[in-house]
Amino acid sequence: MAPGEKIKAKIKKNLPVRGPQAPTLRDLMHWYCMNTNTHGCRRIVVSRGRLRRLLWILFTLTAVALIVWQCALLVSSFYTVSVSIKVHFQKLDFPAVTICNINPYKYSVVRDLLADLDQETRGALRTLYGFSEVKSRKRRGAASENPAWAGIQPKFLNTIPLLAFSENEKGKARDFFTGRKRKVDGTIIHRASNVMQVHESKKTVGFQLCPSNDTSNCATYTFSSGVNAIQEWYKLHYMNIMAQVPLEKKINMSYSAEELLVTCSFDGTSCDARNFTLFHHPMYGNCYTFNNRENETTLSTSRGGSEYGLQVILYVDEEEYNPFLVSSTGAKVLIHQQNEYPFIEDVGTEIETAMSTSIGMHLTESFKLSEPYSQCTEDGRDVPVTNIYNASYSLQVCLYSCFQTKMVEKCGCAQYSQPLPPNASYCNYQQNSNWMYCYYELYQAFVKEELDCQTVCRETCRFKEWTLTASLAQWPSEASEKWLLRVLTWDQGQQINKQLNKTDLAKLLIFYKDLNQRSIMESPANSIEVLLSNFGGQLGLWMSCSVVCVIEIIEVFFIDSFSIIARRQWQKAKEWWARKQTAPSQQGQDNPALQMDEDLPTFTSALHLPPAPGAQVPGTPPPRYNTLHLERAFSHQLPDTQAPSEP
Amino acid sequence: MHWRKYLLQGLHRLQKGPGYTYKELLVWYCNNTNTHGPKRIICEGPKKKAMWFLITLLFASLVCWQWGVFIKTYLSWDVSVSLSLGFKTMDFPAVTICNSSPFRYSKAKPLLKDLDELMQVVLDRILAPEPTLANTTGALNFTLWNHTPLVLIDERDPQHPVVLDLFGDNHNASAGSSAAPARAGNAPGYKLAMRLCSLNGTVCTFRNFTSATRAVTEWYVLQATNIFSQVPHQQLVEMGYPAEHMILACLFGTEPCSYRNFTSIFYPDYGNCYIFNWGMEEAALPSANPGAEFGLKLILDIDQEDYVPFLASTAGARLVLHEQRTYPFIKEEGIYATSGTETSIGVLVDKLQRMGEPYSPCTRNGSDVAIRNLYSSYNTTYSIQACLHSCFQEHMVRNCSCAHYLYPLPPGQRYCNSRDFPDWAHCYFDLRMSLAQRESCIRMCKESCNDTQYKMTISMADWPSEASEDWIFHVLSQERDHSTNITLSKKGIVKLNIYFQEFNYRTIEESAANNMVWLLSNLGGQFGFWMGGSVLCLIEFGEIIIDFLWITIIKLVAFSKGLRQRRAQAPYTGPPPTVAELVEAHTNFGFQPDATHPSPHAEAYPEQHAPPIPGTPPPNYDSLRLQPLDTIESDSEGDVI
Repeated sequence: MAPGEKIKAKIKKNLPVRGPQAPTLRDLMHWYCMNTNTHGCRRIVVSRGRLRRLLWILFTLTAVALIVWQCALLVSSFYTVSVSIKVHFQKLDFPAVTICNINPYKYSVVRDLLADLDQETRGALRTLYGFSEVKSRKRRGAASENPAWAGIQPKFLNTIPLLAFSENEKGKARDFFTGRKRKVDGTIIHRASNVMQVHESKKTVGFQLCPSNDTSNCATYTFSSGVNAIQEWYKLHYMNIMAQVPLEKKINMSYSAEELLVTCSFDGTSCDARNFTLFHHPMYGNCYTFNNRENETTLSTSRGGSEYGLQVILYVDEEEYNPFLVSSTGAKVLIHQQNEYPFIEDVGTEIETAMSTSIGMHLTESFKLSEPYSQCTEDGRDVPVTNIYNASYSLQVCLYSCFQTKMVEKCGCAQYSQPLPPNASYCNYQQNSNWMYCYYELYQAFVKEELDCQTVCRETCRFKEWTLTASLAQWPSEASEKWLLRVLTWDQGQQINKQLNKTDLAKLLIFYKDLNQRSIMESPANSIEVLLSNFGGQLGLWMSCSVVCVIEIIEVFFIDSFSIIARRQWQKAKEWWARKQTAPSQQGQDNPALQMDEDLPTFTSALHLPPAPGAQVPGTPPPRYNTLHLERAFSHQLPDTQAPSEP
Repeated sequence: MHWRKYLLQGLHRLQKGPGYTYKELLVWYCNNTNTHGPKRIICEGPKKKAMWFLITLLFASLVCWQWGVFIKTYLSWDVSVSLSLGFKTMDFPAVTICNSSPFRYSKAKPLLKDLDELMQVVLDRILAPEPTLANTTGALNFTLWNHTPLVLIDERDPQHPVVLDLFGDNHNASAGSSAAPARAGNAPGYKLAMRLCSLNGTVCTFRNFTSATRAVTEWYVLQATNIFSQVPHQQLVEMGYPAEHMILACLFGTEPCSYRNFTSIFYPDYGNCYIFNWGMEEAALPSANPGAEFGLKLILDIDQEDYVPFLASTAGARLVLHEQRTYPFIKEEGIYATSGTETSIGVLVDKLQRMGEPYSPCTRNGSDVAIRNLYSSYNTTYSIQACLHSCFQEHMVRNCSCAHYLYPLPPGQRYCNSRDFPDWAHCYFDLRMSLAQRESCIRMCKESCNDTQYKMTISMADWPSEASEDWIFHVLSQERDHSTNITLSKKGIVKLNIYFQEFNYRTIEESAANNMVWLLSNLGGQFGFWMGGSVLCLIEFGEIIIDFLWITIIKLVAFSKGLRQRRAQAPYTGPPPTVAELVEAHTNFGFQPDATHPSPHAEAYPEQHAPPIPGTPPPNYDSLRLQPLDTIESDSEGDVI
């Protein structure tokens, strides 16, 4: 008998190779438990004693349960992120810097448009607070000279009357214009009253908005201070007036880049107005963005420190300020990405005149993982809000776009401080008489998150953030003031012909403090590989199981079990049939099982091995032929013995 | 002795042939291995066998692939970060304070006298170009001017810009330039530029400015640098603001401190700077409480009246917070504090600790950076700023053969000045604007692994208040100058509060994301998941492969031996000889030294061969290989029992 055959015979003898052929399910189970690779099952079968067997069953089941539980935990925590923070020292792209004068339009130019409104505002102030213009400022001379207040029919105060409420007379208000009391009905909305408890100790001021031709459903907005009320009231009318002015004219009314920028240098080299792009903001007039020119490469800094950043001296002409619209002086600066829309009214740093403001930046870049890790969007294409801005997507852009779209839908016109959606026009009284009421209603709903804008809009997945450290220093210094103002006047001389004062100027330095860029990156904490190996670890730890075991389980518990059951059923059916056909059957019982046995391969046939020859040669045991090899050992010595014999 | 036994056994095997076949080995392995797949291959029917074979193969390749993925991940040296935030007792940062003006004008005036007079005339020339002023220029020192003069460029005709010398009418003007006859001072199209010449004025470039302010400032700074670089260090220090003059009051927590607690350092841009809590000689001061009451409170006098007018256009104190034993880079990282205000600075220490190579490219102490750290003379630690500055100075020395005044002096070099190095300004501006220089520096310098930043929350308020102004100034004047008159003013006084915020540290620490344990457990997990294997299985597999090789070697030896024998037996014809024949042939061969006539023997052998050996059946030679079989048998018998 060949030795290979002998091994196989041994294996065959030791292995009960009869899993699928097992006659009963019980046998199959027994076979499975004995032969499976998972630990535990074998112990159940092998163990003696009922208690021990029970314990082993319990252990095995516990292990299975633990595996299932742990694997479920692994799957449920699959979509988690790990955060890494990296610091690179490298050449950094300089951000876009948008600079605006706080005052949108030169008052001397825009005064004609606003003459009526200003007059009425002054009148209202006089009526309520007994304020009369102090004519200290020469520029207002012409406008405030007009005493013909009584003669003109005020159109602005008629549309939206300013009212003063006194506490003891509920529902009564005093009209600013006529001074007579009038009844106020409808809803009275205190601005922000639902956020803060307003102490109604003093009289409140407000204005009333009514839908056209319907004075019964008016909304009255009240403020605790007249300053807020009048500014808000002024702003409403101002927007209304400005909405009717074409953009071209508005740009001309505002400051030019040459006027705003007295000197400019970047990275040690000079720059001028040509390096800035115009950006017209409805509430801030002409703004200028540095480093945002189309078709040009983004400037970058390769050294940190104030010398190598952007240095500008701004001319802020305080005399041209609108007294009612803006009450602070200076300029506003916003640092943003090149393709980002500058929301200057929301996020801007204000800079003071007669001061040098140095803003040191640190760049932090954040990357978030989008679906399914978090709810952020890569480029806003999957957000169902049309971007009305000519800029890349951001949460703010989305919210404003959403509001503007809703505004056009509900009120039929667009709000002035945001861009126009296609096929819409800005609101004004001539066309939309009650837009203000509509706007305020909508705005309330927006703030209360009733417009769904907040749920629809999603944050962006990647954003750059510049952390700013701003510090102030006096500029120009006492010692240098004299010569510096002279030279600056010469510089600015091409635009204006007047001696500059230090309160007309502001110096601004924007620079990278160092060239370290921090990137905060989210990365998937788990990958498929790690998940699988964690599975493997769990399976291996509790039961020494693997995918092979799983396949085995499927094989044994489903395929084989079914085949056994089917076989039995088939047998029964055949039996039944045979009994029905011929009552005296001949040995029909044995045949099917035998046939099955024949069909199923035996071990040797499976391996395609020749049948083992009769292993038992009768008679003598085989001789120990090892002894024969002596000759060969001898022959090895041959060359040795031959060598000396040859001469 | 053992190895000899093994050697003999090996030789024995080589002669006898292997004790088992490939197939036996394979079957044995499949049966006895601990990995899950192979066992099923041998104990199933033909269809299932094929299936199991495929499955095992598939899983094995999956395992290999996944292992590759893991090893690749491991070798990418990823890091994970842990962030901690809170308050703990920490060393208070070192605080460096400077005045915006490097020198007191009253002291520096003699040095700058010529330059200032020249500057005045230049300004007059630019602003009021009437030639009537020309007679005032007689007493001026024009050696300064002639080196790097400012020129006006008339760009009204963009194709042919005309260069106009400011003093063109009474001094030697370069060819083509002429005094502006009717120049409107602020007419459009005029630009100021600085003429930088090298090689004895033969090669000139113009550095253009869009604003006169900048041109004049830069020109003045350049000239002043020229002057100061020739002045000995001691004199410069004396010209600066002394500590007792500048630092009026100091309070650290509840401990009083004074200007004596400050270390003086000379910074070329800002003159004398004073460092509090540098930690060079004594241990750093810790601060155990958040809030302004427990921080550093300083009152400074910046003495704005005594500023150098053309050098310091911004007035204020300059300060920077930095780590102990690091050099303060005030120009890059400093902030201003305005006079007449109280500036409160809340500090958050933002620490970043990195792993270093191979995880992140950083350096622990700068020893592996190719640039010599010039700031090591201050006994400070490495920082990237120090490296960048040193790198610039190195380039400067290489290109212009002199060192720039703003950076430390390398050994054996001298500072640039236009008397000894007439071309240096030209060279310096070239270098400063050169992107290649900066990029090479950025490439060469590495960040340090431990990076500390101080995040500041700055707020300001007017100080002193109107009501308290009088007595505060009175007391401070009395203390400093021992005079009853008020020697201070709101324009010069700066109050500083520097303190830890409620959360004073944010530490970002790197750790290896994928360490060896991670790798091993994942490798084990994968192997276990697909095949239920372990390291021992790998060893088993290796063993089998060695066995395979052994069999192959033995077979090859046997084969080559057989070839040789067949060649030796080539003359024989007929059926192949039996073992017995061969044995005898060998015997004969060995015992016949003179093999001159073997032909009769050759004829005799076939005759002998034809009848089989009577009696016993031919022995089953395979059964002779008892050793491997024995072991199996004993094994299986043990099982049975």
